Amino acid sequence: MNILIQQQRLKKIERLKLVLFLSIIAVGLLILLKVDNMLLSFLLAFVLKYTLAPLINYSERKGVSKSHATLLVFTLFFSLIGILIYWALPYISVQFKAFHAELPRYIEGTRSLIFDIESRVEEIINTSVEFNLSAQAESLMVSWTRSLFEDLPNFLSKSLTTILLAPFFAYFLLKDSHSISKKLLDLVPNSFFELALSLQYQISEQMGQFIRARLLEAVIVGMIVWAGLSIIGFPYSHLLALFAALTNLIPYIGPIIGAIPAIIIAMINGAGLLAVVGVYAFAQLIDIIFIIPLVVAKIVNLHPITVVVSIIIGAQLLGIVGMLVSIPAASMIKVTAQNVYHHLINFRA
Amino acid sequence: MINYLWENLFKRNEDHVIKVLSNNVLFKDLTSSELQTVSNFLHIRHYRPAELIFRQNEIGVGMYIILKGKVDILIENHSAGDEDTGDFITRLEEGDLMGELSLIEENSRRTASARAMNESSLLGFFQPDLKNLLQSHPEIGGRILLRLSQVLGRRLSETATKITELKKQIDSIKA
Repeated sequence: MNILIQQQRLKKIERLKLVLFLSIIAVGLLILLKVDNMLLSFLLAFVLKYTLAPLINYSERKGVSKSHATLLVFTLFFSLIGILIYWALPYISVQFKAFHAELPRYIEGTRSLIFDIESRVEEIINTSVEFNLSAQAESLMVSWTRSLFEDLPNFLSKSLTTILLAPFFAYFLLKDSHSISKKLLDLVPNSFFELALSLQYQISEQMGQFIRARLLEAVIVGMIVWAGLSIIGFPYSHLLALFAALTNLIPYIGPIIGAIPAIIIAMINGAGLLAVVGVYAFAQLIDIIFIIPLVVAKIVNLHPITVVVSIIIGAQLLGIVGMLVSIPAASMIKVTAQNVYHHLINFRA
Repeated sequence: MINYLWENLFKRNEDHVIKVLSNNVLFKDLTSSELQTVSNFLHIRHYRPAELIFRQNEIGVGMYIILKGKVDILIENHSAGDEDTGDFITRLEEGDLMGELSLIEENSRRTASARAMNESSLLGFFQPDLKNLLQSHPEIGGRILLRLSQVLGRRLSETATKITELKKQIDSIKA
């Protein structure tokens, strides 16, 4: 009887500890969402952490201490990024300026393309209703491109905080990730400790593999598009490849968005449309046949409907950032639900 | 003065962890610097008297070594009708380990419950820790795994011998 009373008292303490732990997590999440630049800085820091962690593990296996390995890998990585930017920036900036100069022609071309399609549709369905899509598209494009060219320098200077904070957070996440997670786990009540540890490890492993796979996929798709467009002599190959690589990070919809600018340019120039479609189709074919089955599909086992619903929810909540983080967030929720079910519900059956 | 006391308090705690680890069958092949590395992967958990460490049938992801205190191992007593009590099997003391099968078995279920008898501190070593250790220090992880396999092999052989003896007894009773 004495034991039972003690157990009741212990359960109360455990519940209190759990509420305290969950409150700390909730406050952390609130800070991430409410403080300017914090969410994006941490997301980028985690991307950096998961990209570089295997290299640090490799260095540790070779006998280098964790702090030295982190410093070494960080220095090498950012030197490489610096060299890459130094090499690629002149090409990209030349193409960016050329594209800027040609922009009014492309806007007018797109407007007339849409007008053409519009009149054909009107002919076929023989309707008197005015769609006026071309005028709407023109005003939309003008506002988008104006915001792209005029707001980009402003956006970049505003993002400076994020650009500086992300590597700073990433460095300490890499160097002290073990002790940070250990200290957080110390706060978990005893009865949930094994569940929390197991969850933390599985989510971390899955996120790491997912981020590395998606980045690799984006780089490969970007390189194929760049090589293909360069071979067929298509203009703005650097810019379009960069755009294709970035949009490829969004599942299903991303590759289509990535191909649209090149297709429009080809249609307006009236040359190379088939070749451009061929290049993008080839890049997607390589992605679907080799990269997705080998590196992506096994990592996040989500149903396509779940993926699309997650992207829509992500886009509505956080815009483009939401679209990018929706899949990892959905898989995190799935892993958590599975583990909680196994640990807390299934074992009592 | 405060710094001196603080450092020594933790130093003594660390020394005790290393001492307990060096006497444990799984870690006895490791040098003191390797034990220091391993200790960074372990978790110290504190339990109050009568607190359950793990419950029979729940999923376990690792093992515990007793740093301080005593732990009772219990088997669920269905006739008693209460999941918080059980039949006493054995009492473990400082340096003893429990739950080592969960360190390598996927979705392993605890075969008995463990309850702290008094204020106890336990060192937890879990599958995620072993996997992380194998990634960054494969040599150390490998030696621990080898020792663990030896322990489990010996247990298996003892169980096989017991089953054979029991079969013989059943056969003699039948005859």
